[in-house]
Amino acid sequence: MQKNALNILLADDDEDDRLFFKDAFEEIKIQTNVNFVHDGMQLMDHLLNPDNKLPDILFLDLNMPKKTGKECLIEIKKTEHLKNIIIAIYSTSSSEEDIEDTFIQGANIYIKKPSDFNTLKKIINEVVTVNWHYHTSGLNRDNFLLRLK
Amino acid sequence: MKWIPNFNSSNSLRVIFVIAVFILLFLSSIAYKHNQDLNESSKLVMHTYEINIQLERLMSAIKDAETGQRGYIITRNARFLTPYIYSRDKVNTSFITLKKLTADNPEQQKNLEKLFKLINQRFVSFENCLKYSDPKTYDKRKLDNHMFGGRILMENIRFKVDEMNDIEKAYLKKRLKIYDAEISLSPLFSISLFLVALSFILLAYRQISRDFERLKIYNKKLLISSGLIAESETIGKFSTWQWDLDTHKIDYSDNQYRLLGFEPGSFVPEKGTFLNFVHQDDKQTVAESMDGIIEKGTLPFVYYKIVRPDHEIRYFKSTGKLLTDQQGSKILLGINFDITDEHLLNIELQERNKELEKSNKELASFNHVASHDLQEPLRKIQTFISRVSDADKAVMSESGKNYITKIEASAKRMRVLIDDLLLFSRTNTTKKEFIKVNLNELLSNAESELGEVIEEKKAVITASKLPKLSVIPYQIEQLFINLIGNSLKYSRPDVAPEVTISSEKVNAADYPEILEQTVKKFHKITFTDNGMGFDPQFKETIFILFQRLHSKTDYPGTGIGLAICKKIVENHKGHITADSTLDQGSVFTVFLPD
Amino acid sequence: MKLFIKFDINTICSLYLKQNLEENNISFSTLGFGEIDIENNLDAEALEELKNKLAPCGFEIVENQKSVLVQKIKDAITELVFMDDSNNYKSSVFLAEKLNHSYGYLSNVFSEVTYSSIENFIILQKIERAKQLIIINEMSLTEIAFLLNYSSVAHLSTQFKNTTGITPSAFQRIIKKRRENLK
Repeated sequence: MQKNALNILLADDDEDDRLFFKDAFEEIKIQTNVNFVHDGMQLMDHLLNPDNKLPDILFLDLNMPKKTGKECLIEIKKTEHLKNIIIAIYSTSSSEEDIEDTFIQGANIYIKKPSDFNTLKKIINEVVTVNWHYHTSGLNRDNFLLRLK
Repeated sequence: MKWIPNFNSSNSLRVIFVIAVFILLFLSSIAYKHNQDLNESSKLVMHTYEINIQLERLMSAIKDAETGQRGYIITRNARFLTPYIYSRDKVNTSFITLKKLTADNPEQQKNLEKLFKLINQRFVSFENCLKYSDPKTYDKRKLDNHMFGGRILMENIRFKVDEMNDIEKAYLKKRLKIYDAEISLSPLFSISLFLVALSFILLAYRQISRDFERLKIYNKKLLISSGLIAESETIGKFSTWQWDLDTHKIDYSDNQYRLLGFEPGSFVPEKGTFLNFVHQDDKQTVAESMDGIIEKGTLPFVYYKIVRPDHEIRYFKSTGKLLTDQQGSKILLGINFDITDEHLLNIELQERNKELEKSNKELASFNHVASHDLQEPLRKIQTFISRVSDADKAVMSESGKNYITKIEASAKRMRVLIDDLLLFSRTNTTKKEFIKVNLNELLSNAESELGEVIEEKKAVITASKLPKLSVIPYQIEQLFINLIGNSLKYSRPDVAPEVTISSEKVNAADYPEILEQTVKKFHKITFTDNGMGFDPQFKETIFILFQRLHSKTDYPGTGIGLAICKKIVENHKGHITADSTLDQGSVFTVFLPD
Repeated sequence: MKLFIKFDINTICSLYLKQNLEENNISFSTLGFGEIDIENNLDAEALEELKNKLAPCGFEIVENQKSVLVQKIKDAITELVFMDDSNNYKSSVFLAEKLNHSYGYLSNVFSEVTYSSIENFIILQKIERAKQLIIINEMSLTEIAFLLNYSSVAHLSTQFKNTTGITPSAFQRIIKKRRENLK
């Protein structure tokens, strides 16, 4: 069944966040394969390397060294074979500008990093479920916008 | 405004004058002619008279000769012969004079010739009489013949003389008749002409005096306005100059000299004079713009510096326009403003602006620090605490568990504080994009945001129709959330909260103390609740940042919520007020410009 | 130039399926959304070939019986939500009748396989329909709310916001700006 597991990629420079994220995914019921990159440059290298399987959902921190999340987002949406990846912005910022801007740039999901582990689990579960619905029920991905707090 | 009065009369005046002059010239020529005529007729009379006299003289000379001859014949005394001898000369003299007098009259000349022949014949007959009366050659018959013939000749001569006299008299009469006719026609005519000319001149005089009055009035006005202009130039620190492009004459207003640091009129400006005052750095720009003004006819404002003789630098702003006056000559009108004071003020303002921008940037970066860097560790603390599982807590001491709970509460409070602070600073810093939206839509968003609390407290929120306004949508949404949230928070225990929202359009003039009067209409939106209310003496202070009316253990809060409301309303150029009766409820009123 | 294309995914899918199956000489009849009846049983090799052929376009042959049922439930819900007279049906009755199972059973199977409830999925689908209608921009929110059997615009807005985290107007604004951005 590992083959059918959901491929998750998190781009975040914060070690603790990566840890919370990994733990949260381990505790939800859906089978997933979680990978990590530490900054924007590494993310783009990872995505552009043909040996790596493309993620089903990319969680993207906005505030990263070397290349910011926003820059990565724009670059991904401009790259033909990457632009269909579901992108979830995963950020501390709750500024309306950041949210609307990233949505306009093509992000599907905006998650404000929660300050509670259970909330994190709940959010991740929701993202995966909704994504799965979009994946399996013929829903129009262009209309896939989800904001979670 | 028409500055130059229209003196239309000048042309008609000219015509009147020309006519009057012609009439007068005509009149004087007539008078001259009359004079001439009079002269002519008196000459004519004299002429006739002279001819008459000469003819009489001629006759008397001949008679003298006759008388002398008779005396001699009778007495044979030679003394009687003397008149006879002289008479021949007398006759000749008269004859010459007569010939001259009648030179212009061929008829008279002919008569004169005939007369001359007759006279000659008479003298021949005298000679014969003398000859035949002489005793030596005495012949009675011949003497009688000649004496008789002499008498007939004498008759003929007299007849001829009379004829000539008659002719002259008839001529004179005829000429005088013509002159009389001429003279008798003119008096009525010249008097009427004279009256016409007089009336023309009177008319002209009236016109002139009227124009003169008007001129006097305009002159007075001009004097006043030029005085005013000069005065306002001094007060307003501006000056004007004119450059007649045809004559190349340049005029500076008095204040232009003053602005350049001179006494009015202390030098004669020429084409290049002004450029000499312009600061080295700006010379080219000013020269180019002067050329541009001649090409394009107008000059957009040009800014430059000038240097006064005492080396003081002044900042100038100039504009100009190419004018064409009624006579078609081109005049360049220029206006200079001395903007040194404004310029210096501007520089100061710019510096202050820079400082403000800098401090704003610092505030923004502080905002960033608060939003990201400060939140980050707090979020970690909270997440790590949430990871302390019940299993972990089971093995902890009571006090340990207690501390964990306290840390959790403090972290939570800090979270609320940071979030509120962020919200507050964001109402200032984020871009303010005004979009026309239905406020009912924003209200329903706010309600769904507060859904949990509304359900929990079983609150009833009723709203009338709200207007459609151009606002910053999420800020107004935040305003609604905060105001309704406030009502829900300070509800009376055991009373289900009710919030009524209503809206009406009001005139700014009805609220002169609180509303911006430049906007005519405002929307007054009231939020009325049935909560615990507050002491009305605090109705101003509750909008101040960090001001709280309750202890934080009773009602947790940061004292930021209403300050945010005030900020948001101010961002929309509106006003917010609060009023309350303790234990009955509060009313928050928001005024938003239409 | 930009064109907004309105299309029916179901028609496209059945057309694509028909073409591919005919190419592989498989005679079949369509039973409903995503379910086809093949006359002769296929051997493993032929099945694998068909799988690979359909895979590039995202078609997947569902093998598990429960998954098949879940897919049927989803299809039925989609059908219900996109029906113009959906207001006349109660979803539980509609599903039970359509799929010949008790609603309780269907609900259990659905939760087991998808980790979410039928009700949630219905909401998701309704909001999805609302999104489409908002984007087409031919109807007002009031009309959309009525069509999708909401008691009021506020109710629709609230559910929209709860499901997507953003308001309908923000959604409309974002999609519009995103399209402008793509130009």
